[in-house]
Amino acid sequence: MPTEIIDQDFENMPVGQEEKTTVKKGKKPIFIFAGIFGGLLVLLLAAAIFLSFQQGQPTTEIETKPTPTPTPEFKEEIIPPSPYATDAAILKMEEEIKSLDQGLTSTDLKESGLNPPVLEMKIQFEI
Amino acid sequence: MKKYCLPTIFISTLLFFYSFTLVHAQEFNFNRAYNDYLFNYNQYRQSYSEYVAARESYLTYKTLTSKNLALEKTSKMLKDEDEVIHTYLTALRMKLVETTGISNDEQNILYLKLDSEVAWYGKHQEGLSSAATLEDLVDSAKKVADKYQTTEILIYQTLGTILSGKEINFRDQLNNKIQQFKEKIGEIRQRGDKDTALAERWLLEAENRLTRSQEKQFTAQQILAKIKSSDVNKNQSYNKAQFALEESHQYLKEANSYLKEVIREIKSAN
Repeated sequence: MPTEIIDQDFENMPVGQEEKTTVKKGKKPIFIFAGIFGGLLVLLLAAAIFLSFQQGQPTTEIETKPTPTPTPEFKEEIIPPSPYATDAAILKMEEEIKSLDQGLTSTDLKESGLNPPVLEMKIQFEI
Repeated sequence: MKKYCLPTIFISTLLFFYSFTLVHAQEFNFNRAYNDYLFNYNQYRQSYSEYVAARESYLTYKTLTSKNLALEKTSKMLKDEDEVIHTYLTALRMKLVETTGISNDEQNILYLKLDSEVAWYGKHQEGLSSAATLEDLVDSAKKVADKYQTTEILIYQTLGTILSGKEINFRDQLNNKIQQFKEKIGEIRQRGDKDTALAERWLLEAENRLTRSQEKQFTAQQILAKIKSSDVNKNQSYNKAQFALEESHQYLKEANSYLKEVIREIKSAN
């Protein structure tokens, strides 16, 4: 089969078409970026609206009422009280005893900060 | 005349407050004495490190320069050591001044002893300036080491007195409370509207605890009095005395808790 020789002029090939394709390729990433940015913005808005709804509507756990039996606080009660339960002198003594108790508990009986200094007394210049 | 009146008042007020702050700043108390001691102790640790380095250098090279440096650093270290002991004893003295519960006689005896020790170290510090050789400094250091053996006894005895003072103070307060309770219970007994037998028993227990506390304190004092200058571990004896004082303190706490029971008993009906 005889071969057909096609005469091609490489030097005079049209360049305009190539330029068109490069312009299209350059615009594509901008669209992608804008799309992602827009999507993120929508997501953020949605999250903000969702959160504001959450804050506005208290959950059922918060609405629960305290239990009818409150935790009892320790309170020393002398039942039945004697005629001296409200005696001013006795109450004054009670306060003094409490104050003395605090003093006895908080006092420092070690005074470790006042321990003697550690000093190196031996000095010599012979091996 | 009126023109100068206002500035004069203003300036005199400022001067008054300034003089007040000066007086306040000059006040010498335990906290200030203790801070002085801590400052001097840090300085001593620094000069001791420098002495060690200078000594090593001298022992290695044996040059005249290294010898002079060793002389200088050793002298500085010994001076700082004297200053540490001096400021420490001063802090201890100030603590003794601020502690209540110690008898005046006991306080005065300790003041005299502490002052005498402070004077000795001050004199020794002055003498260090005249030391010309390393041998002089070694002799001088030996004198301090010997003297410190007796100083340590005084230190531990003073510390023991300070802690005992605290105990005596609490015991006196508790004793006063017991007397007040005795009077009040006596009144109640005379009125006859409340049985006081149980309250009186608690009071008796509280008194017993005070006696035991005093016994433990006496034990601590005996341990401290037996410390000798030849003892190698004087701090062990001090620790024993301290432990006895802690036991004494525990009895005081028990006595106080029994007084609480007395109140509880008085406040409740038969």
